[in-house]
Amino acid sequence: MKIFPAAPAALMSAPVLAIALLGIAPLVVVVAWSFWAWDPSTYWIKPELSFAGYAAILEAGRWTVILSTMFKAALTAIICLLIAYPTAYAVQFLASRRLAMIMLALMTIPFFTSYLIRSFSWRLVLGRTGVINTFLQDIGLTSAPIDWLLFSDFAVIVGLVASYLPFATFPLILSMQRVDPVLISAARDLGAGFWTVLRTVLLPLTRSGIFAGFLFVFVMAVGSSTEVQMLGGAGASIVSVMISDVMRVANFPLAFAISTVVLVVIFGLVLIGDRRLGLARLFEDRSQ
Amino acid sequence: MSKTGTGFELSSQSNIQRRNLLKLMGGGAALLAGGGLLSGRAFAQDKTVAFWGTATLDIGEKWQEFAKKNGVLPEFTDNGNDVGPVVARLAAGNANDLFDVGGFQGGAEGELARQGLIVPWDVSKIPNYESVWQWAKDIPYLKHDGKQFGIPTVVNADSIIYRPDKLGKVDSYGVIFDPKLKGRVAMEDAWINSAVFTAMYLKESQNAPIVEPGNLTESELGLVMEFLIKHKRDGQFRTFWNGWEQGVQLVANEEVDAMTGWEPIVYEGRKRGLQVEYASPVEGYEGWGNNTVLLKGAQDRGAADAAHEFVNGLLGGFYGCELGQSRGYLVPTDNNVAYATANPSEYPVEAVQKLGDHVKAKFGGKVYWQNCRPDNFQLYEEWWQRLRNA
Repeated sequence: MKIFPAAPAALMSAPVLAIALLGIAPLVVVVAWSFWAWDPSTYWIKPELSFAGYAAILEAGRWTVILSTMFKAALTAIICLLIAYPTAYAVQFLASRRLAMIMLALMTIPFFTSYLIRSFSWRLVLGRTGVINTFLQDIGLTSAPIDWLLFSDFAVIVGLVASYLPFATFPLILSMQRVDPVLISAARDLGAGFWTVLRTVLLPLTRSGIFAGFLFVFVMAVGSSTEVQMLGGAGASIVSVMISDVMRVANFPLAFAISTVVLVVIFGLVLIGDRRLGLARLFEDRSQ
Repeated sequence: MSKTGTGFELSSQSNIQRRNLLKLMGGGAALLAGGGLLSGRAFAQDKTVAFWGTATLDIGEKWQEFAKKNGVLPEFTDNGNDVGPVVARLAAGNANDLFDVGGFQGGAEGELARQGLIVPWDVSKIPNYESVWQWAKDIPYLKHDGKQFGIPTVVNADSIIYRPDKLGKVDSYGVIFDPKLKGRVAMEDAWINSAVFTAMYLKESQNAPIVEPGNLTESELGLVMEFLIKHKRDGQFRTFWNGWEQGVQLVANEEVDAMTGWEPIVYEGRKRGLQVEYASPVEGYEGWGNNTVLLKGAQDRGAADAAHEFVNGLLGGFYGCELGQSRGYLVPTDNNVAYATANPSEYPVEAVQKLGDHVKAKFGGKVYWQNCRPDNFQLYEEWWQRLRNA
């Protein structure tokens, strides 16, 4: 079938418009409004240039929440990748087609229920009378419940990893599907062991998948709040909880400023990742 | 404060869906009427009021019955409960174009009145207002410049949930800050509650120079929050909790021995076989209320009379009985008992009486009112952030 030169542009126009209207426009508004001044008489913002929102980020330790959110999100993404990489490898190279399907299905089962229930269930596992503490005491390893299993950063990371693991696994599977098995066979024929193949062939060729997986998990963890509120310690915070606190007192410029800082970090990460690790390659046509 | 879920049945119907459905039904009915298919009798109940309230105030399908009794059909929309966005939507958004009556957490009335976003009620048009208990009429925030801007609709008072098998009898908020209970206590993850409880304790038991725990000055707030921060740093709190199920789980799974919180959690804990009590602290209770306000838009649209009829209906007894039965909340009027007495097949009189007496008894002692909009509310948030980061 002959494709007219104008066809790709026509096909692209609808999704581009949708992305512009639904994705980019609200973000532009958020960034613009972050520089407006709060108007106490209307409880809204007025179009006067103000950096008060950004200045307030430096107060009350808010910037530490942004940093700790980034750290928690990055740690979550790294742990997810460490678990997801061997999983994706097993699905792509070791498991039969049937077993691979079963493994993928098992990975999606937790998503059949709501994120609230998923997080809440960890309280029942990690709590003082939870499964783990009961088991440890039953086998005599501990004489009293371990408190830090729940309501701690440890519990938050467990909850985040459990929630977002599939978002690291699927891009990795996608990138491994793009690895020509002949390359692996050739490396083995030349005497390379598993670790050498992994280091010299697989990891370089799945870089874009690794970064995509990292990015998906990182972004979702940055925007999460349920895991922190359900599993974190007293007053545990994360960016979305902080924004919610700020919105409660109608400090919209501050909420927008916090959002803008997070947006800049994430966009920066995407650009750096694409430049250095070739994120876009993941979506290139295989035939090219 | 949205205190939903008392173990009783909750309405799961989306309010937005319901409003849309009503609109569609209205549109469809209008078409039929235009075609001469329906007689005028079918529209005997033609007054509606757009009620923008905390989800706690919704009685779902029972609004239809309410409309039959009171001649006004409320179209309920959940306002999300957070006062910040609610005030912003009233001040800078379209809330006044959409809604007639607000049902808000107590405390914002003065500010809304000052901005001209709400208008005063004419209590002479609300005959049932006479039946409201005096202490409920005396809730601060209801009046501004001598005019009645808020009508108390739901009231209750909170204190401490505790385990007597572990702690014996508890009668002070001191238990929350007792170093012997390090890591075994919790508070709510909201300054609107936890700052008041702490201020009450410091004022009443530590003689701290605090005048009004619900409306702390800058220095009082600093004192209260520094106290909380110190205890948080010491590892006093197991967690700060959010929402009904989390609160219940903390008690049910023995994560804490005492926590500030809502009384229905005690009932739920008992249902699960736990020995749990609700304290009557010497420092008093934290009173809270949801008050109805008349939005200016209603007056501009000529809907003020219907709004008055609606609020009169809220205080008429049926609504109080229904809200008490479905959620355990109290409308502060004797009309609840009168209605149940007249309609014993609908609501058990003893249960209605018991709920009223129980809440009344709490208000017989010292009560400090929760305030969703203290004068320094922005500072509260800043301090709460410091507490989070401590």
